[in-house]
Amino acid sequence: MNHSYDDAIEALLRKQFDGPLPDDGFSEHVMQRLPPRRRRVAWPLWAGFLVGSGTCWLSLLFSPLLQDGWRDWVDGDLSVSTITLLVAMTGMSLLAGWWSMTEADDR
Amino acid sequence: MGVADSAIEARIDHALVARVLLGDDRRAFEQLLRRHQGMVRAQLRRLLHGDEATADDLAQETFLLAWRKLDQFRGEARFSTWLYRIAYSCFLQACRKRSLRGGDMDNGEVEQLPALHHTIDLQMDVERAMRRLSAAEQMVLLHCVQLGLSHDETAYVLTMPLGTVKTHATRGKAKLKVWLAAWHQTADEERTP
Repeated sequence: MNHSYDDAIEALLRKQFDGPLPDDGFSEHVMQRLPPRRRRVAWPLWAGFLVGSGTCWLSLLFSPLLQDGWRDWVDGDLSVSTITLLVAMTGMSLLAGWWSMTEADDR
Repeated sequence: MGVADSAIEARIDHALVARVLLGDDRRAFEQLLRRHQGMVRAQLRRLLHGDEATADDLAQETFLLAWRKLDQFRGEARFSTWLYRIAYSCFLQACRKRSLRGGDMDNGEVEQLPALHHTIDLQMDVERAMRRLSAAEQMVLLHCVQLGLSHDETAYVLTMPLGTVKTHATRGKAKLKVWLAAWHQTADEERTP
């Protein structure tokens, strides 16, 4: 399209637009209806994190899976314990990655 | 508004947002509100084809939402663009609720409006021509040309792919060019002695 024609159309459209409206009490009206700000509380997240970590630690404390898996991994032996450990770590990493991406998208 | 002015305005907005978030400062929010209410209300009034009462209701909803969700503003877009996006989603929600949105008039016809020749009021003709565009073309031209947003910002506000925004802008202008051709001819004739 011809640029000068494009400019002419844009100029016509801009001319037709009235621009910003005067306040006429609008802002005051909105300010009267403004609710108190709710602060985002962080404690449920941290409580969940601590409870989850504590439960994991307790459940693995008396299980030989963690020690066996770690020992076999260091020895280079791909045992069932090692594979379980790797799968669990991969799963948790993926979950953390997915959660981070979702949080980033929301913002 | 120049690039430098725009950058200064953006910095002022960011400072005000920071004051609201850090100090729960209602006065800072009031300043943001006073700075942007005019354009947000103008945007909504255009989207609603002049329905002032509904536009102001939606504008109020927009600012209340902005107040509640201010911590989600990360400053990637200008504050005004962020507000336009909230206002547009309020508008869409209202349309869904009350079927306010006018019929999509895009029937592929590109012809001159029969009554456009030699009518007295150019403004009215531009208004009529705008209403004949498809809803998407109207939205894109409103944001790109009349509200002065870039194509990227328009894509952000309308949650549309950038390519689609550009296509609608080009098509919309092409249709207006044909429909408003009579005005250009008159203007050309007036220019020629």
